[in-house]
Amino acid sequence: MYYEFLENVAQNNHLRDIHSVIKLVFGLGCILIAISSQSIIVPLLIIAITMFATLVLAKINLKFYLMLLTVPLGFAVISVLVIIFLRNSGTTLLSIPVFDWFNIVVSTGSLNEGLLIFSRVFAGMCSLFFVALTTPVTELFTTAAKCKIPHEFIDLAMLIYRFIFTLIEQAVQIHASQVMRLGYGSAKEGINSYGMMAGSLFINTWIAGENLMMAMDCRCYDGKFALNADDLRFSPALMAGVIALLAVLIVIAVYTRGFILFGA
Amino acid sequence: MEPIIELHNVSYKYPNGPKALDNVSFTISRGEKIALVGPNGAGKSTLLLMFNGMLKPDSGEILFNGKKITYDREALREIRRRVGFVFQNPDTQTIAPTVYQDVAFGPVNLGMPRDEVRTVVFDALNDTGLAGFERRPIHQLSGGEKKRAAMAGILAMNPDVLVFDEPTSALDPAGSEDIMELLDEMQVNGKTIIISTHDVELAYPWADRVLLIKGGTVLLAGKPGDVFYNKDLVRSCKLSMPVLLELYEGLSEKGMPQIDKLPKSALDFITYLCENCGLQRKEEKTCGDIYLADVEHTSPAIVQNLLASGSIAAVGAMGTKAKTFAGNGNICPEFTYGVIDKCVLKAINKKNTLILTSGGMFARVHTRVEAFNQEYDQHIRVIENF
Repeated sequence: MYYEFLENVAQNNHLRDIHSVIKLVFGLGCILIAISSQSIIVPLLIIAITMFATLVLAKINLKFYLMLLTVPLGFAVISVLVIIFLRNSGTTLLSIPVFDWFNIVVSTGSLNEGLLIFSRVFAGMCSLFFVALTTPVTELFTTAAKCKIPHEFIDLAMLIYRFIFTLIEQAVQIHASQVMRLGYGSAKEGINSYGMMAGSLFINTWIAGENLMMAMDCRCYDGKFALNADDLRFSPALMAGVIALLAVLIVIAVYTRGFILFGA
Repeated sequence: MEPIIELHNVSYKYPNGPKALDNVSFTISRGEKIALVGPNGAGKSTLLLMFNGMLKPDSGEILFNGKKITYDREALREIRRRVGFVFQNPDTQTIAPTVYQDVAFGPVNLGMPRDEVRTVVFDALNDTGLAGFERRPIHQLSGGEKKRAAMAGILAMNPDVLVFDEPTSALDPAGSEDIMELLDEMQVNGKTIIISTHDVELAYPWADRVLLIKGGTVLLAGKPGDVFYNKDLVRSCKLSMPVLLELYEGLSEKGMPQIDKLPKSALDFITYLCENCGLQRKEEKTCGDIYLADVEHTSPAIVQNLLASGSIAAVGAMGTKAKTFAGNGNICPEFTYGVIDKCVLKAINKKNTLILTSGGMFARVHTRVEAFNQEYDQHIRVIENF
């Protein structure tokens, strides 16, 4: 079994050395502008910009990126189809009779609304993936500490982060050893094996917790966790550029707010 | 030598378990390399956990630097800073998300200021050959790298004694050679090193003293040769004799003249055979030279020049800095472990070699070669200026 974690991709992307605050401002700014946009123009622009940033600047593998996008977009397409067929306003474009008393109707209004929502979701996802694929969680801890989030939360998050991977590794190993001994041959066996895996993971977690206490004691734990040395350079010019870009997007959004594709 | 850790009649029993340690007494001196060897379940790990106060003996006492260890919070923190413990499984030991954060864990908890933390972390990463790994998440490291990260985390606290539980388990041969050399480097820098292992081949040439442990007691403590040449005792501990000693024993039975000192390395043995068993005529006393380069004060170009002259048969790199240097300069060292011995061996065979090294290891080349020259009446030269 092989898992590709977003986190592992993020650790190796080409925008890693950009200060995480800049990437966060850019990503979150794009999301906010996209979901509050009144026309599809700005979301389309944001899709283009974030895709460019993710694929060309951060050099994320195209196939991997498309695969990631299919999951949320699949849901989005289904929900948008429902909106297009069920909402009804403006001139009717298409009417499919189902029963005597029920027609499925597509109208200009519903089409415009569906497309707008789809473009917002798409742009939002692209922006979110930009942040997820370029900003490793390990960098966010430092940022979180700067934002004065209580260090208890950050310490806990860091421990969880470290042990998620240990847990997954163990689960993969146990699963593999079960498969090798034909543990998932039938549905009944599968359920049994799965339960066994959960059980032994629980015990392993317990032991790991005790070992952790011991390791921390051995290393003079005194309630403090180190953060990364803050050696990423914060570039004010780049930050200004990002803010300017966001400002331009807002201006375009305001000017194109009345734009619709179908009908007047 | 000045004792650093002393155990007096230490006994320990796990709750609901058999006796793990039974009346154990011994002394470890400052700067020693100690190997605890014994079968699984002999009590090695239990004993190791005593050294930094993780376990408290049921009876008996443990002295550190002549003072009895007490088990209150402050005293325990101090002893744990002075005695660094590296677990067998690096996944147990590494706590923080990234390499930098993990190595900084100890120093931060000791209350060092930010800049100092930075310095000690970068030094520790340099010493363990992990420079450039600062931002890498621990879970992405290989087994050997994780082990090094765990060691760096302990080194950053600058302990006097380093305790390793099975330092080379689950490492590939090159990885374990690297680790053992790192241990040598630390010892040259003045640390006392205690390891537990059941790898006799590893313990025999490395250790200054070996403690043979079985059933919670120390069966025998002494020089590696004295302990491992005791065939019955070694077998009763489910260990095997080192190949070198087995060879020596076999040849002795075949009528080879006895040596007053057991061979500690292949070099010792080969020289002895050459001298006494007619493999080399006595009058042939010319030997090759050993070139010695300090990587902190030389450039790859100078070394490349020397190599280009064609007089060097083999290159050895000692220490992590030398290995990094070799890597940067596109030099491929033939020897990375047991470098001095292997180069001396080449020199006996009239071949010239080059040793890349730095710091405390530098002087060791001179002492080792001089000792060898004296012992076997050879004239191997160590050349520094070229």
